[in-house]
Order: sequence, then structure tokens, then C-alpha cells
Amino acid sequence: MDTEEMKILEMLKKVIDPELMVNIIDLGLVYGATFDAAGRQIDVALTLTSPGCPMGGIIIEDAQQTLESNYPGFNVNINLVWEPAWSIERLSAKGKAELGFS
Amino acid sequence: MNQIASQNAPSPKVVVPHFIFGALTWLMVTILIIFHPEAFTQHYFNAELLAITHLLVLGWITMIIFGALYQLLPVIMEVKLYSETLAKISFLLMAIGTILLSLAFWHFSFGPLMFIAGISIVISVSLFVANALLTAHSSNKNVIERTFIVSSVIWLLFTVLAGLTLAINLSHPFLKVSHVELLKLHAHAGLVGWFVQLIIGVSSKLLPMFMVSHHVNTKKLNFSFYTINIGLPIGIIALYLQYKIGVVFSAIMVVAGIVGYLSFLLASYKKRVKKQLDIGMKQSALSFVFLVIPLFLIFTLLLNIDFLNRLTLPLSVAYGSAIVIGFITSLVMGQTYKTLPFIVWLKVYQGKVGKVILPLPKDLYSEKLAIAQVWLFAIGFGFLLIGISTTNTTLVMVSGILLLLSVAFYNLNILKIVLHKPTNK
Repeated sequence: MDTEEMKILEMLKKVIDPELMVNIIDLGLVYGATFDAAGRQIDVALTLTSPGCPMGGIIIEDAQQTLESNYPGFNVNINLVWEPAWSIERLSAKGKAELGFS
Repeated sequence: MNQIASQNAPSPKVVVPHFIFGALTWLMVTILIIFHPEAFTQHYFNAELLAITHLLVLGWITMIIFGALYQLLPVIMEVKLYSETLAKISFLLMAIGTILLSLAFWHFSFGPLMFIAGISIVISVSLFVANALLTAHSSNKNVIERTFIVSSVIWLLFTVLAGLTLAINLSHPFLKVSHVELLKLHAHAGLVGWFVQLIIGVSSKLLPMFMVSHHVNTKKLNFSFYTINIGLPIGIIALYLQYKIGVVFSAIMVVAGIVGYLSFLLASYKKRVKKQLDIGMKQSALSFVFLVIPLFLIFTLLLNIDFLNRLTLPLSVAYGSAIVIGFITSLVMGQTYKTLPFIVWLKVYQGKVGKVILPLPKDLYSEKLAIAQVWLFAIGFGFLLIGISTTNTTLVMVSGILLLLSVAFYNLNILKIVLHKPTNK
């Protein structure tokens, strides 16, 4: 992963899941990000903890807005993916601590 | 790509009036408990208790369930609600019908007023049932939660039709069975067929989602579905024919089904990712503790234990109160904090991210008020049960005051949520 993609993931830590109150990176909801400087394009693969999650729309909107404001003139695509399904193993150590895992 | 659930959400104008009407009705009921505590210390077939019960089950619980379901059916079934217009008409008819029915019961008048109220409620429910079934029909999610919901709305229709039949029978008797026995039949169709099944269907989807519990086996829910839907019709027929063994068998089946569901919830709780329960989930957890009370009381009542004989009537009222107020009301109050803030939050903030300060849904209500509401409710309900069981009107009145304070705090929070406005950056 190049530096720009690392920066994108860092920026997405500002996007919080409103139900769990943990950011989407520490929740493991972001499966990957690609940055294409020449094509001025950013693609993010994002999942949700459950397909029925009523918060999905606003999480995507928040992620999109966060990246668009940091990369003016770039085309930001947030792609919702369901495979592989999200599971507890995707939580970071910080995410686990914030959710109360001992 | 799957559709996102929030894209299917109906207009809050459809959902929110149900919550407001429901919350005000519950407030009204607590005032009636304070000024008419004797309703709970007599035979359960008394004018005031019948009025209070119908305000609770129709005006408060069913009303909030209707509103919440219009929001939740699209989440559970992953489709849009079939018709928002049907939902609005159904709301108006239910509101009018409930007020008229309670007035008719309060004055123990079984004439045209009760008939008009009954018809209004039956039409409201028919529209709701049609809306729910047509929504379910357009979904390809053939899951056990959907089966429970479909079954529950059919039981609701049966319950209100049975209620209308009873109302006609009161003014023009044509059924040979005692009215008190018919009342038990009507009540259990509603309590178990409608409320309990609906709660199982909705909560078995939502509670694991709120707790983020994955890979919970739903086989126990299949068991619950069959035991309840075999046990309940047996109980209804046995009550009509006054065949005691059939009633006992039915109770065993239904209780086994509820225990299967509780065991599913326990497994979800143990597998939860979100370890800290918020205030809405804490009151919901409390409601499941209260559910144990009627599960014991039903067998105490059915077994006709000698030394408890003189307590049969108070324990019958305690049994009904433990289900309607202890379990269902507590669950509805708790789950309000899991649904209404999200409904309003989505409406206010969708499309405005970045332009306004984005709070969390839990910031839309006062947590301190919610905590006080839960404590007052738990203590108030305790007093109510003791007051009913000992036929002590003073204790029932004290319980009414505590519950009134609890509901006042609940109403303040509802008002705070629905009046929420965004703050510009």
C-alpha cells in the first residue's frame, strides 16, 4: 500500500459508526483503498456489520464527504461490498478495546 | 451490490405520529392508575380496567409497534414499505377507535359507540395487515423473522375480530360460553399471537444487530414458531370448549416456545461484539427479566394450588399486568431509544454530512432522564405488582405516581428527539 493510500485510511478514521461509536477503520469495515493520481480517482471498498444496517447510507456519505473535502477535484467512489462478510476478527486491537473487550 | 437499508426508510411523517400518540396515551394511563387504583384490585372484568387495558394495548403498545414496523419492515425485509398512504389512514382510524373504545368501556356502554370504535379498529388493523403482508410479499428474504411477523399480524386481525364479536355479544348475547372465558381467549390471542410473536420476529433480527452478534443459530426460533403456533390454537379451542387439560397443554407448548426464544437471545448476548449495553438495551434486558414473572404465574393459576385459591383473582390481574406493563411496555420504552433517535437522525442529517455538526443518535436525548426513567419504572412496576397481589389500592396509587414520573421523563425525551434541529458548522 503506498503512502497516499495509507493517508486515506488515516482520514477515514474520522468516520464513526453511529451505533457502535467506533471509527470504521478500527471496526475493520474498510477492505481497501486505491489512489489514482493521474486519473484523479479514489476507490474505497467498504462493508457494514450487517446488510440490514440502517446506518449504511450515512456512513457512506460521511466517508465520501471526508475524502472529497481532502482531495478536491478527485472522483471518490465508495463501493459497498458484502464478500467476505464482516466478522469480529476484523476488529483492530483499539476497536476491541473501545467496544469493551477485555 | 445490495440496496442500503436506509434507502428504503419511509417518511418520518408516517412513523413519528405513532410514537407521539403512544407516549401520550401511556402518560394518560398512569394518571388513570393514580386516580382509579381500585381498577387493579377488583375482578379483572371491570369497566375501568377494561378501558385502561385497551388504552395500553391499542393506544400505546400497538400504536408504537405500527409506527416502528413501518420503519423496521424495510430493514428486516430489505424492501420499501408497500404504501405510506395506507399507513396514515390506519393511524387515524386506530387513534379514533382507541379513544372511542376506551370511553365506551369506561362508561360500560355496549351500544353504538363501542360498535363504531370496534369497526374503526378492525378497519385500521386490516389496512395495517394488508400493508405488512404486501411488503413481506415483495421481499425475497424467506427468514424465520419474516415468518413470525407474518404470523403475528394474522393473529392481530383474529384478535380484533374476536374483540368485535365479544362487543356484539355483550349487547346481543349469542355465544353460549361465559364472557369471562371468551375474554381470556381474546386476550391470549392478542398477547401471545400478536405481541409475543411480533416481538420475537422483530427482536431476533434487531437485538443481534444492535449487539453485533454474528453466527447465532436460529434453529431455536424455528422450534419456538411451531410450539407457539400449535400451542396457541389448541389453547384458544380449549378455552372455548372449557377443556382444562387442553389449556394446560397449550400453556406448556407456548412457554416452551418462549423459553426457546429466550435461549436464542442469551446466545446472541454471549456472542455480542458490543460489550457495553446502552440505556435502551438495559431497559430491554430488564423487560426480559420481568417476562419470567408471567411464565411462572400462568402455571400457578392453572394448577389451582389450594392455599393460593383466594389469590386467584389478584394473581390473574398481576399476570396480565406483568405481561402488558412489566414485559411489553418496558421493552417498548427501551427500544424507543434504539429506533426513534435513528429515525429522526437519518431524516435530519442524511445529505447534510459536512455542512452541519454531526452528533451521534444518542446525543438526541438526555441519557440522565432515560436512566431516571428506567429506575422509576422498575420501582413503580414492583409496587404495582405488590399492590395488585395484596389488593392494596394505596400501593397501586404509589406505583401510578412512580410510573407517571417515569413516563413524563420518557415523554420529555421523545419531545427532545422529535424537535431536534441541526447545528450549522
